Amino acid sequence: MKTLIVLLWAGLSVLVLAVITLPINLETQFIAGMVVLLAMMILKLVRPEGTWRLIALAFGTAIVMRYAYWRTTSTLPPINQPENFIPGFLLYLAEMYSIMMLALSLFVVASPLPPRKSRAANPGNLPTVDVFIPTYNEEPELLANTMAAAKGMDYPADKLTVWLLDDGGTLQKRNSDRIAEANAAEKRHVELQQLAAGLDVRYLTRARNEHAKAGNMNNGLEHSTGDLIAVFDADHAPARDFLKETVGYFEEDPRLFLVQTPHFFLNPDPVERNLKTFDRMPSENEMFYGVIQRGLDKWNAAFFCGSAAVLSRKALAETGGFSGVSITEDCETAVELHAKHWNSVYVDKPLIAGLQPATFASFIGQRSRWAQGMMQILRFRAPLFKRGLSIPQRLCYTSSTLFWLFPFPRAIFLIAPLFYLFFDLQIFTASGGEFLAYTLAYMIVNLIMQNYLYGAFRWPWISELYEYVQTIHLLPAVVSVILNPRKPTFKVTAKDESIARSRLSEISAPFFIIFFLLVIGVLVTIYRVYTEPYKADVTLVVGGWNLLNLIIAGCALGVVSERGERAATRRVKVSRRCEMRIGDAWYKGTIEDVSVNGSRIRIFGELPEVIPTDTSVDLRFKTFVEEQESVLPMGIRNIERTGDGAIIGSRYRPTEAIHHRYVADLIFANSNQWTQFQLSRRGNPGLIRGTIWFLRLALFQTYRGLVYLGRQMRGYESRPRPASGGATAESRR
Amino acid sequence: MRRLLAATAAIGLLALQGASAQQRAPFDMSGERPPAPPEQVAPSPGAVPPAEGAAPGPIAQPPAAALRHLLPTGNAVLAGENPQRSWSVYLTPEQAAGATEFGLGYQNSLVVAPEISRLRMTVNGNRLFDVPVASSDAISRLSAPVPAGLLRAGFNDIKVEAVQRHRTDCTIQSTYELWTQLDPASTVLRFADASVMRWTRTDDLRAIGVDVDGRTAVNLVMPAAEEMSASASALRLAQGLALFADMPNLAVSVTTGDAPARKPGTATVLIGTTSELSPLLSAMPAGAATGATAAFVDDSRYGPGTLVVTGPSWQAIDAAIDTMARPVDRDPATQRTALATRNWRLPEPPMLFGERRLTFADLGIQTQEFPGRRFRTEFAFGVPSDFFASSYGEANILLDAAYSEEVLPGSHIDIYVNDNIAATMPITTAGGEILRHLPIKVTMRHFRPGANTIAIEAALLTDADRVCAPGATALDKGRFVIFDTSEFAMPAFARIAQRPNLAALAGTAFPYGRATTPVPLIMDRGGANLSAAATLSGKLAVAAGRLIPLDLNVSPASVAGRDALFIAPISQLPQVALTQVGISEASRVSWGDAPPPTEAGGTTTEATFDQWRERLSGSGWRGQISTLEEWLNRTFDVSLESFRLLPSRNPEFTPGGDASLVVAQSAAPGGTGTWTLFTAPTAAALQDGMRAVGSAASWAGLGGYISSYNASNGKVTRIEPASVELVQSSQGSFANYRLIIANWLSANAVSYSLVLGALCILLGLATALMLRTLGRDE
Repeated sequence: MKTLIVLLWAGLSVLVLAVITLPINLETQFIAGMVVLLAMMILKLVRPEGTWRLIALAFGTAIVMRYAYWRTTSTLPPINQPENFIPGFLLYLAEMYSIMMLALSLFVVASPLPPRKSRAANPGNLPTVDVFIPTYNEEPELLANTMAAAKGMDYPADKLTVWLLDDGGTLQKRNSDRIAEANAAEKRHVELQQLAAGLDVRYLTRARNEHAKAGNMNNGLEHSTGDLIAVFDADHAPARDFLKETVGYFEEDPRLFLVQTPHFFLNPDPVERNLKTFDRMPSENEMFYGVIQRGLDKWNAAFFCGSAAVLSRKALAETGGFSGVSITEDCETAVELHAKHWNSVYVDKPLIAGLQPATFASFIGQRSRWAQGMMQILRFRAPLFKRGLSIPQRLCYTSSTLFWLFPFPRAIFLIAPLFYLFFDLQIFTASGGEFLAYTLAYMIVNLIMQNYLYGAFRWPWISELYEYVQTIHLLPAVVSVILNPRKPTFKVTAKDESIARSRLSEISAPFFIIFFLLVIGVLVTIYRVYTEPYKADVTLVVGGWNLLNLIIAGCALGVVSERGERAATRRVKVSRRCEMRIGDAWYKGTIEDVSVNGSRIRIFGELPEVIPTDTSVDLRFKTFVEEQESVLPMGIRNIERTGDGAIIGSRYRPTEAIHHRYVADLIFANSNQWTQFQLSRRGNPGLIRGTIWFLRLALFQTYRGLVYLGRQMRGYESRPRPASGGATAESRR
Repeated sequence: MRRLLAATAAIGLLALQGASAQQRAPFDMSGERPPAPPEQVAPSPGAVPPAEGAAPGPIAQPPAAALRHLLPTGNAVLAGENPQRSWSVYLTPEQAAGATEFGLGYQNSLVVAPEISRLRMTVNGNRLFDVPVASSDAISRLSAPVPAGLLRAGFNDIKVEAVQRHRTDCTIQSTYELWTQLDPASTVLRFADASVMRWTRTDDLRAIGVDVDGRTAVNLVMPAAEEMSASASALRLAQGLALFADMPNLAVSVTTGDAPARKPGTATVLIGTTSELSPLLSAMPAGAATGATAAFVDDSRYGPGTLVVTGPSWQAIDAAIDTMARPVDRDPATQRTALATRNWRLPEPPMLFGERRLTFADLGIQTQEFPGRRFRTEFAFGVPSDFFASSYGEANILLDAAYSEEVLPGSHIDIYVNDNIAATMPITTAGGEILRHLPIKVTMRHFRPGANTIAIEAALLTDADRVCAPGATALDKGRFVIFDTSEFAMPAFARIAQRPNLAALAGTAFPYGRATTPVPLIMDRGGANLSAAATLSGKLAVAAGRLIPLDLNVSPASVAGRDALFIAPISQLPQVALTQVGISEASRVSWGDAPPPTEAGGTTTEATFDQWRERLSGSGWRGQISTLEEWLNRTFDVSLESFRLLPSRNPEFTPGGDASLVVAQSAAPGGTGTWTLFTAPTAAALQDGMRAVGSAASWAGLGGYISSYNASNGKVTRIEPASVELVQSSQGSFANYRLIIANWLSANAVSYSLVLGALCILLGLATALMLRTLGRDE
């Protein structure tokens, strides 16, 4: 039956392909393009999901394939004009890569699995769990929160062991020849041991820093015995229900090696921070965790993202622990285990909350590692040809790894119009009519399809923006890993930097150079339209393309103009009853929002006339963990008096290990609040509204970028370097 | 003079601005339309070609019988800067030996600068004339003796070319004012002795040539013209003669006794049994009484070299005809490699039955350096009758050419197919360039069955021409060169016959040209009817390149479901034939004697409506819609017609009063077979109309499902059918079916969208089904 259906589908596909490769004329193509566009728009308005979604995608695919056919058969420059042919062919390859990636994504997200039902209520038989918190150089306070949150997970205490795997206090580090480093490592070693002991967490370090994170965790595997391993990055604090929602799947499927959950971030990435979109627009990674992982899950190809996941010890034993050939050990481990016929599951509910890089430079550093790691997997594990993987799994991994080649086509799309504008090369032979009927239809259909696939998770043009801002620095990184696949080493991404003052990113120069180059391109366009009217048509089309590049490049200027920020950490809205002691009196109140550093509390009643800042107070509330009264010492930062009381901003002053558990309970205990926050900014603005919004954003960001540049040129000091503190590593596609 | 210069310059500037304005229009980037219409010579008021033979020549004309007119279509205009023509003239051995001198007569436009313009004539590669073009007042008549050994028995190739430059103007527009008209009366080959015009062998029929008007006449004397049984033989003979003559404008007229006097371009042929012919002739050819005979006699009444086809019975005559025609017949199973056009155009167009590449050298275009402003050259090729790629197809010209550094961007190379613009390749780089196999896509929209011509025209702009200093019209340095290594690449194209399609009939006599069993021909008896039928059958034979077997002994009732021809005055046509091809029954009485039916309600309303629509177009939102339609039409050829789904029925046709002959085609009743009908109000009108439609210019104009010929302006009006039936005509292959579908869907654009849409819906459903069975479930 299954074969029959696949055969039916293949037969239909061949038929569609036959119709698409008919050499029809321009008029017919034009009408077909219009009809398909109309059909897709109507389908989208009427019913954008289920079978209708697949029909609309089939429509779009038809137009994309017609474009590919036409592009292949009639637009390449003649081969005897190498000055046109070579760049023309590169552009062609870039476009074909994009179309191939579209095809792979269509396959991956053809039918994302709907979120699974919550299992918190009946998790079934509970296995023993070891929680690994690998750390390298993160601050003890950050670790304290994470450890406390891990300890606070709702799970029988005798079955849960939390391990702090410290790679910053290894013997190798402590015996370093550089005395300052050795001393710091020694101090860290002692301090973390104490902290861990206070929180009832096992501290573990090793002799040498071999194989980075993978080696660290393998060391953890050797010293522990639990059935399951939960991995949290140092800055990823789990919610109370994390294990309840995940461990049950292992009982259901004995061949399960992984339950992965999404990474939810409390702070914006530099793009979101600088564009101020964090509160309004879905985060960049939501497309991956909201759609792509669900799509991968459909094909049993959801992969390990380094953190916020539970793995099976039995499975890991088969591959000798975590694989460490590439610098993205997580995905690599998943490929290996999938190839050994182990299964994975993705649970689409944010169950951890973490931090992401705050500065553009560290953001790029993180992405470089992902890109290089995925290239290494492509090179050393060749997922498309890997024995043991099912065909869908091969396609899924190919899609995930090939994705990171995007800097090449991006760069080509960026410079291709300049070839024509500056050097008069004809790298795309088509008339204006053909351009309208084929290319424009293809571009619009492409946008509609993106919107269909990722609409609520990714707004129009945002993918282009993200790809562009990464391309500039990722291109050399990808080229270098292709040339020297074994060279890259694991670099830990810094995530808790803060930007005290507005300044340009230290790696912003190329963005301005490209921007001004594109501006010259626009000027050349105008000049040539007037001086060479006989080819104004082509000039206008190419100039329009260049203008599109300029709009994105202008928006990117805003991305590299780092906004200064007062609060380094994200506040999460909560609503919990509490009591606060000021002086000797207890006041009833509500906790309104919390962050990892402090919280805002609304209290009621007659307050003393004078309350100085930094007054020590106590906050009493009921924790979720043991349903017991807890008292957390705090200091007052500011007071805003209201008619019936006041709103008090305060900072935690933990003195004992237990206090970290109270803080973790405040912030991390309730995962529903994160879901709520994500849902609040999810929404599909649609193609037209989204495009208009993006244009306005781009215009403003161009202006902001140029203002920052002007300030910098006038010698405005951009002294404060990002305070590099603790850092952590985590990974994704 | 200076004022004239200024005025011309101003006009030139205007034209230039117009051109650039057009090119500057946004989004009209197809570049498929030239800045100026491709019309041949747009004569300015001062440059009207002189009336034919207006000025009497200074040289006394020798007796008419002792010369051959050389221009195959009567007059010949050499227009533009580098016109040229080539063709062949067939000479009998006696003519080749007895020719004394060539005559060349011409008159040119006033604006041709004599000091820098040349007219040349070459025969068999020897240049006989090379003279300045300096005869704007009257016809100049030149003569040159025939060098010994130049001419040979059989085909002799003649080439006439001119180099023409304007006296004062350097614009491209001005090149359209350049013309030289060759005078048919004085462009001749003269013989010392009239006796060389006598024919003695069957092959000598090929030397029939043309008269001063470019016409070829066969006078068929047939005492039994009224007898239907004999008519079949006469038609077969007419086909044979037409194939021998192979001239573009050949007409047959049948008489029972008399024949006009012999003159160049005519043949007198007697056909009948010995008993019928002996009263007419002073002496019968030897052996006529006993067996089939086809022989030439010198008769006092009909002149020397009269062909007599006779025998004791009509069976014997048929045998004589078959024997005579064998050299020009062709087995229908063998394909022609080229169309036989050498008597009026060289080289002969090669037939392209599928994918093929031909170099320009093969197509008769040599490497040429060109120092002027508007370069033009052309080549011809043939496509089969079942060509079905006009909606989607694109041929390629791979151009090897170069232009010099003085040529400015904004110049362009245009490709015309049968005088319709098919492609424009703008020159966009300054400083000269060598083009190596530059592909230029040529739409096949205007390709038609039979012979096609493709013209390549380069419009070259330079700064020097913009300034146009005195004397600057003369140029010595080549600005443009075209190499004979350029190629014409015909892709594989869809092949399936279409019905109705009169263009296929005109091109290769399809479907009758392929007939192996006799084709029923239904006609009316009488000399005029027989003349018309003979002219038609001759024309069809030439188009088919073979003799088509005809069967006159059939009733209209018996031809249902078969290929058949009808040729008769409308009143004599069977009712079923009229109904079948869609000509209204009323035209039987109304056509011919009634004034044009403009008073009839329908047409007036339509015409008035059109007028009003014209007047109101562009105003209001409806006007905007029609403007949008125009824009779509310009850019993509999209019209409201493109959105039709089901073909509408052909409306019933009533010939207008201005139509003198109507040709109509449709499927035969029963669905198989093709009926083609030629009709006119009267038998005499049919004979005249057939002669006119049979002329090369009109014949090529046939097309659609109804073509009507208007005698008053000599134009053929085509009506395209609303629906065309496809008829399997060659071996079906997957590749061919694919292309057939491509062409059909391109012609029915909405159908493509529907097919694609339906398939996409099915694919979407199948994908949904597959996704439900594959991968994980929810």
